[in-house]
Amino acid sequence: MADRMVTKVLILLALVAVGTTSTHLASAQSAAAVARVAANPRTVPRTPDGRPDLQGIWQVGSRAAYGLEDHAASYRMPAGSSVVEGDVIPYQPWAAAKRAENFQQRATADPLSQCYLPGVPRIMYMEFPFQIFQTRDHLAMTFEWQQVFRLIYTNGSGPSTPLAFWMGDSRGRWEGDTLTVDVTNHNDRTWFDMAGNFHSDALHVVERYTMLDADTIRYEAAIEDPKVFTRPWKISMPLLRQKGMTRVLEYQCRAEMEEANGDFKPDPRTWYQKGSGGATPAAPRQVRATAPGNGAGSLRRMPDGKPDLSGFFQADAGGANWGFEPHDEPFTPGGRGVLVDPPGGGLPYQPWARAEKLDRNRPERGYDDPTAHCFAGGVPRSLYVPSPFHILQTPTYVVLLLERMSWRIVPLDGRRRLPDTIRLWHGDSLGHWEGDTLVIETTNLNGKTWLNEVGDVVSHAETVTERFTPIDADALRYEATVNDPIVYTRPWTIAMPVKRQEGGLLEVACLEDNQDLQHLKDVRDGSQK
Amino acid sequence: MTRGVWLAMMLWCAMAAHAAAHHSFSAEFDINKPITLTGTVTMVRWSNPHGWIYVDVKDANGKVVNWAFEMAAANQLYRRGWKPEDIPVGTLVTIDGWLARNGSPMANTDKISLPDGRKLLGPAASAAPVSP
Repeated sequence: MADRMVTKVLILLALVAVGTTSTHLASAQSAAAVARVAANPRTVPRTPDGRPDLQGIWQVGSRAAYGLEDHAASYRMPAGSSVVEGDVIPYQPWAAAKRAENFQQRATADPLSQCYLPGVPRIMYMEFPFQIFQTRDHLAMTFEWQQVFRLIYTNGSGPSTPLAFWMGDSRGRWEGDTLTVDVTNHNDRTWFDMAGNFHSDALHVVERYTMLDADTIRYEAAIEDPKVFTRPWKISMPLLRQKGMTRVLEYQCRAEMEEANGDFKPDPRTWYQKGSGGATPAAPRQVRATAPGNGAGSLRRMPDGKPDLSGFFQADAGGANWGFEPHDEPFTPGGRGVLVDPPGGGLPYQPWARAEKLDRNRPERGYDDPTAHCFAGGVPRSLYVPSPFHILQTPTYVVLLLERMSWRIVPLDGRRRLPDTIRLWHGDSLGHWEGDTLVIETTNLNGKTWLNEVGDVVSHAETVTERFTPIDADALRYEATVNDPIVYTRPWTIAMPVKRQEGGLLEVACLEDNQDLQHLKDVRDGSQK
Repeated sequence: MTRGVWLAMMLWCAMAAHAAAHHSFSAEFDINKPITLTGTVTMVRWSNPHGWIYVDVKDANGKVVNWAFEMAAANQLYRRGWKPEDIPVGTLVTIDGWLARNGSPMANTDKISLPDGRKLLGPAASAAPVSP
């Protein structure tokens, strides 16, 4: 009986896999792989606790991003075969008309044309790679596109809220070898694809991730939305391992758009320009005795004995986002001062950079702070903005998921650095352990960030050494040494405690209603009249 | 109320004003132009990077102007116990804030007083950890 069931399931899988075959080569190959490997699932890699190991860098093998249904080619939209079971999305009549209107106006009406977060399931089949990290309690997906991430709780924890999110609220559970993810709390602003397929805030998505072999995940999403569709419907497609790809890089959609249209202008004094700079200087290597925690015995530890830094944290930042030196000005959150080197001093500025920092405090310069545009905070700013972050740790990676919707991936495997020409908002971070301290050295920064709201300066020559030292089970000491010979006369160091928090990440989709940028632009332009 | 307590409250409110900000407070709002307005809520936007509350306010000539008040980010409001339904459309509110520099009827607020006496205070000290 059981055997017959298995056979039926396998035949079904093979049939559906054939059904998803797309016209282009990758899909055709993957579909063939799907059919072949479904009969031999013993090649699936596994975690120590026996679950299928989904970790790695993946990208969809289908043209679903352009249109979920069968579609002929049109401008900037290659043809593709349907990934919808039954080939047709069961719209209610009014919604079918709305979808047709969306298609006509897609160039401007598609939420991605403004670089908004794509939502689930759309993010899963965009033609950009993403990386999966898996622990017993969580599964994280970090996407190249706009540095979106998903944190999927698989341990029954996580905050329950009535809030709507662009990326929804994902809770996973293992059903045999399939990871089932229930996605709720959607807003009504995302689309399913570039063809204008859409939903309401009543959307409910149930995803199923099944590994067919070491290099193929079968991805299914059951979609339910009684306000828009006449019945539930389902899509399925393969996710393919991106062999030979060692990193997920950044595609900061909004920043690229604003640089292209002139809304965010280059500063040649600080931005990296190809050919203008030398090789990235090595990060300062400061091997020193690990500051002993209050009780090394009370630390959480990984099976390999390294400290376990996983969890939901926020820096007790001492007002660092409004200045590193002690400050007590009206209308600025007070600051105790976080600069530990030079001790008792100020930042060791070069004269030109000090003048620039002071200039940035004029109201007319408020527009120039990249975070006012909702761009990534950079390093180390992302750690001390007044927003929490989640740390996910595996034996080979530490991943920082930042509530303001971006991520930092820190490999611990001693790999080589990126070439000098690849510059990133969050740089190229490599980590290693020095005793119980996690040391992260970051290079390849782009010089586009400000260090805080009072305009402290960094350039593309910036390198950062961060040290995360656990103090007890619920607190770390965070230290960052910044070296930037273009801006400063010597390296300097800030330090602050980082404390475990109750609750969990609540998505901050900064672009969704950023009226402030226009107001800041008014102030800037008003001053030029 | 003693002067010291009042001063402390004022300071706290001032600090609250932009602790959540993703942009420079003083670049967008004028710290030398505090205002207090009373009017009827027309819309609340529970959004990021800031929530917004819109209020119809009668000026000295009886003309109604729709004012926009910037609040903290949606998740910060939520973590502090606010819910979107706390301020339904039509509620009469008194709002303290600081005027925008761009000359539009807009301000940053951290203190909204409701008719039943409740005060929805802004994200004071949101720069500090949510819990120990």
